[in-house]
Amino acid sequence: MTTRTDLVYLIALPLFSSAFLLLLGRIADKWGHFFATAISASTFGIGLYEFFAMRSRSGDFRAATQRIFEWISVGTFKVDASLLLDQLSICFVLLITGVGTLIHIYSIAYMSHDRDRRRFFAYLNLFIAAMLLLVLGDSYLNLYVGWEGVGLASYLLIGFWNERPAYATAAKKAFVANRVGDVGLSLAIMIAFTQFGSVTFSGVKDAALHASSAALTALGAMLLLAAAGKSAQFPLQSWLGDAMAGPTPVSALIHAATMVTAGVYLITRSNFIFDASSTARLLVVIVGAITLLFGAIVGTAKDDIKKALAASTMSQIGYMILATGLGPVGYAFAIMHLLTHGFFKASMFLGAGSVMHGMNDEVNMRRYGGLGKVMPITAVTFGLGYLAIIGVPPFAGFYSKDKIIETAFNAGGARGILLGGAALLGAAITAFYMTRVVVLTFTGQKRWADGTHPHESPSLMLIPIILLSVGSVASGFLLNKGNALVHWLAPVVDASGAEGGAELFKPIVVSALALGVVVLGVLTAVLKYRGTVPVEAPAGSPLTRFARRDLGQDDFNHRVLVLPGRAITKSLVGMDFHFVDGIVRAVGWTLSYLSLSLKKVQNGYVRSYALLMTIGAIALLATIWLVTL
Amino acid sequence: MFNMALHVGSTQRPEAVLFWVMAPMAVLAALGMLLVKKAVHSALLLAWVMITLAIFYIAEDALFLGIVQVVVYTGAVMMLFLFILMLVGVDSSDSLVENIKGQRPASILAALGLGGLLLSLIARAVTNVDAVGLTTANTAGNVQGIAQELFTRYVWAFEVVSALLITAALGAMVLAHSERKHTSQRQLSVDRFRQGSLAQTAGLPASGVYARHNAVDVPALLPDGSAAPTSISPTLQARGDIIESAPFELAPSVEEEN
Amino acid sequence: MFTSPILDYSLLAPILIILAGALIGVGVEAFARKEQRAPLQLGIALVSVVASFVQLLRVRNVRSLKAAIDSVAFDGATVFMQGSILVLAFFALLLIADRGNFVAQASAIPGSQDEHSSIAEGKSQTEVFPLTLFAISGMMLFAAATDLITLFVALEVLSLPLYLMAGLSRRRRLLSQEAALKYFLLGAYSSAFFLFGGAFLYGYSGSLSLTGIATAIDVNSGNDVFLLIGIVFLMVGLLFKIGAVPFHSWTPDVYQGAPTPITGFMAACTKIAALGAMLRIFYVALSADVVMWRPIVTVISIITMLVGAIAALSQRDVKRTLAFSSIAHAGFLLTGIIALNQSGLKASLFYLVAYGFATIGAFAVVTLVRDSAGEVSDMNRWVGLGKKSPLIAGAFCLFLLSFGGIPLTSGFIAKFSIFTAAYESGNTTVVVFGVLTSAIALFFYLRVIVMLFFTEPKSDAVTVSVPSLKVKLVLAASVIVTIVLGVYPSLLLNSAQSFASFLR
Repeated sequence: MTTRTDLVYLIALPLFSSAFLLLLGRIADKWGHFFATAISASTFGIGLYEFFAMRSRSGDFRAATQRIFEWISVGTFKVDASLLLDQLSICFVLLITGVGTLIHIYSIAYMSHDRDRRRFFAYLNLFIAAMLLLVLGDSYLNLYVGWEGVGLASYLLIGFWNERPAYATAAKKAFVANRVGDVGLSLAIMIAFTQFGSVTFSGVKDAALHASSAALTALGAMLLLAAAGKSAQFPLQSWLGDAMAGPTPVSALIHAATMVTAGVYLITRSNFIFDASSTARLLVVIVGAITLLFGAIVGTAKDDIKKALAASTMSQIGYMILATGLGPVGYAFAIMHLLTHGFFKASMFLGAGSVMHGMNDEVNMRRYGGLGKVMPITAVTFGLGYLAIIGVPPFAGFYSKDKIIETAFNAGGARGILLGGAALLGAAITAFYMTRVVVLTFTGQKRWADGTHPHESPSLMLIPIILLSVGSVASGFLLNKGNALVHWLAPVVDASGAEGGAELFKPIVVSALALGVVVLGVLTAVLKYRGTVPVEAPAGSPLTRFARRDLGQDDFNHRVLVLPGRAITKSLVGMDFHFVDGIVRAVGWTLSYLSLSLKKVQNGYVRSYALLMTIGAIALLATIWLVTL
Repeated sequence: MFNMALHVGSTQRPEAVLFWVMAPMAVLAALGMLLVKKAVHSALLLAWVMITLAIFYIAEDALFLGIVQVVVYTGAVMMLFLFILMLVGVDSSDSLVENIKGQRPASILAALGLGGLLLSLIARAVTNVDAVGLTTANTAGNVQGIAQELFTRYVWAFEVVSALLITAALGAMVLAHSERKHTSQRQLSVDRFRQGSLAQTAGLPASGVYARHNAVDVPALLPDGSAAPTSISPTLQARGDIIESAPFELAPSVEEEN
Repeated sequence: MFTSPILDYSLLAPILIILAGALIGVGVEAFARKEQRAPLQLGIALVSVVASFVQLLRVRNVRSLKAAIDSVAFDGATVFMQGSILVLAFFALLLIADRGNFVAQASAIPGSQDEHSSIAEGKSQTEVFPLTLFAISGMMLFAAATDLITLFVALEVLSLPLYLMAGLSRRRRLLSQEAALKYFLLGAYSSAFFLFGGAFLYGYSGSLSLTGIATAIDVNSGNDVFLLIGIVFLMVGLLFKIGAVPFHSWTPDVYQGAPTPITGFMAACTKIAALGAMLRIFYVALSADVVMWRPIVTVISIITMLVGAIAALSQRDVKRTLAFSSIAHAGFLLTGIIALNQSGLKASLFYLVAYGFATIGAFAVVTLVRDSAGEVSDMNRWVGLGKKSPLIAGAFCLFLLSFGGIPLTSGFIAKFSIFTAAYESGNTTVVVFGVLTSAIALFFYLRVIVMLFFTEPKSDAVTVSVPSLKVKLVLAASVIVTIVLGVYPSLLLNSAQSFASFLR
């Protein structure tokens, strides 16, 4: 463990910049976006410096801490505001600041016509600061501050165009769904405090060694709930689709590359809890498997390009969560998929943004078609991202997703078959819907609305996309080369005890299977959408309709949560009014009666006051008289 | 009580006799001080109590305290009291009507209770206990002993008392001293001419002028027969001590007092 | 035979500087021209407070019982309390210097021509500054004194100027004078009890010093009845000063009648001094006899909390409400004495500072709410002020929330730590009642907040006047301290921890 003093700048710089831009107001309109971008870039610079500094240190000294100040000290309970930069956090730091900076650059052009561009950049910086705090905090409480911070930034950015009521509602929905998860996290913190007496990662880790399994399972379940809220996992997934209301760079940064993966981070960070509780692990894989299929199926039916990508994000994070639930071997693969996904999904979102930029903000893919010729660079970069996500070798997604499917099969027994099968099925559907997106958007005949003149985006937008697509091509290979990431993360996730597991299939067989289903998915999609595509969506099968309605998640929420919730609230209000309020009112009356009688004693005559004092003295004397009797 | 009396009786006889003669009188005087109606009588009874106390002090070997008691309290403080009483008026007496229900019986009960409790507690405490320490304190002489304490051990407290005295003096100044401007007649008349209108250049009308009464609380009448509110002292107005002017006016009233 | 006493002037200097400032102030009254007095006096007062604070900082690590021949203890608690009194007094002085709170000429009869003309001439009673300084010096000494004589002298030095200043309000003068007279009469009555108690303690132990009394209790040499009467009567005098039930009845009348800045000064600084002295007496002199007095103080503490919280419910006047709130707080503060351990002392010190700042801030807001006739303290006329002036009303709410002990304000940490200390010492009952009454008290704080923010303003002439720079400073400081101590309490808790000790 190394002690450093410069970690705090990672957070302080963007936080300061955010406050600065917000406080300065319109004066900063002309240069605010450059300033914010420069800050973000310098944060990335610090991140790189820290990364190389860490690499130059030997194994045990790689993790670095910084104690900023003593935050809370009540009795024996002490929490420091401290930062922890270890092998896991640095991955996130680089991803957040790297992708973040590219998206800052992209946004300069994308938001150039917006009156509130400065405010937008201030929020982006706020997000960077909060997200860095989330991954750098050394305790659950510090993480919680960052966790709430990104929630706030996400809320502000989804509702950035809050003059549209639908967008404001979407922001609120995201906020509320996140809140459910946050309750999970705060409960987890309380459990950790009451059971282990500590909320730092290291403290909980030490205590977890000899904790009851019930406590660990409860803790794991609450952390999972938190992760599900933030990462849009089943059953709290409904907000992500609507969150696409925010500007596209926001969708790329927050709702694809970074914030939504915070759940994966949380579970990976808490690996010691999940390693110790098989029940918690089981819950995690169930949530992961359901979500990966759920997201994939929803993705097949969406005509809105951003919502299709959002569904895909949900599904891909499902993969990551699944991987984290597979025990010590899975964490590194989850993080690897997270990093590669960060590249290719951000690149595709920015590509989608570029398309929308050229198409007068049209998001309906049925209104696209044949854009490949007009926007060659966007098309190529999007295509590279596409190849990466469906898992074609040697693109990034192949390495990471393949590993997850493989590990899932190796989970052993029926569980292995089920999980592996689900992952495989997911891969097939992914191939189908992503092909659908590409075919509908870039090939076929033009179905543009009248008066649209699509054009390639300015280079300021293209450069970040190109850089990101380079990442989506190469990152998988680089991270997997000689198991580089697995070894790098080994000290954090403690994979030492990872049994190789009985291999159900040889890796090559799994790869072949995966490729096979991918080809199947691609072919189906190409065949289905090759011909003319109706501009108005056909009625479709009940399943399609169901998928369009997000597999009924909102209806489900409405029926199962909202209606009974309302009923309960109503009865509670009734009870509150008649019973609780009755008591309260009775207490109130009693108090005000007492209060009025006390007022009578306070009659304003000094002789009465003196008498009262005398009576007090007499009472005291009488006590003594009795005591000394 | 009985034991205590026995105990006191067993001290040196002359002192005991002194005590039992003086003490009841002192208590009576103290009670009388509260109960008599005239302030002067009350003050005199207070002087009596103080002198009795001084005698007790001297009898208890606290010579210095006894003398100071006479000089300071009976001499200076009581004289001040009497001066002030004379300034206020010897005859003035406060209303002793009690207007709070139950206050008087409760007070008497409380006084009896406090006194009774204290008496019985002290009686219980001092029974069969001898007072100690007096001879040690007075070894170097009473005055010398006090001086020793006052100028060494308690010198700081003694010095800080000066702050108290300054505060008291300052307080008296704040509450009582008013800086009066002595404006000459000449200046006053110049001021009158310099003010906004010449309406009052000749001075305010005196109360009762042209009126059927010449009391100070009856407004003067203006030439048209209406009342002139400016003719009555604002202090009276503020207090509300002013008589309805309508009956004194000549013409039908147009203007009321403000 | 006679050895001249040796005083350690560097340790007494903080008090002496204040006294010197007061004397210079008296001189200014005598010699300076009228129009120069107010700025001069303010300058002298502020400079002497700052100088005194600087001197205090210079000697903060000295620990000595011999500063004034066993009369003054210079220990951690003394430094902390004198320091907090000085800091709070600084802001109180700024508030006092703000225009229009004091009578133009105290000797003029209310409503008289004299009064009108003195107002018209723009006179002001600048004697309040030296009087305040005298009070400050008394408070500083009261918190540090270690023998009953010095305690009594300090008590009088701090009280007398307050009696006077309570009667100097510019508006509603009769109410103000009445309040001053009540305060004086009852104060004298309680002082008598204090002296009487001191005499009994001397009778018990043959010593006036706190350590002497402690030794006497240890060897159990004297007469227990004398000891108990002494403790009880001493307590009456002290409880009167902090406004504990049943010796609290002066509080609402005086808080209401006194000029608002003086009320703020009194509420914040007197509490520190009186509780400081009380803590010292109970921790140093009487700690060995804890079984005897703890039940008594517990009962008084509980009654005080209850009466303070309940009586506040039906008040219609802001200043009276704050007075009852201060009574309730006196009850909470007594739990620090009941705890009788180091964390109790630490918590009390923290509590006093947190409460002091919130109080001064709250009274600063009261001075701002005015109509054409001046300050408006009728709460019904404060309705909807949040809409007219959200910042000021927001600050007021913050102070109320701090009084109520809502998390993220200094009041929460203060209550939390003082109750924790009492709980640690095994006094659960008082903690239970403390939490219960906090809930009751919260009700009226919230009621005020609802009135300010969620009720439509009446079309009334009540406005929040634009605060002058001085008041702004006071408000800013109070808001910042209230929030910072709520969010990052270690800042002060740590120093309270290191200063929380009495020399014996």
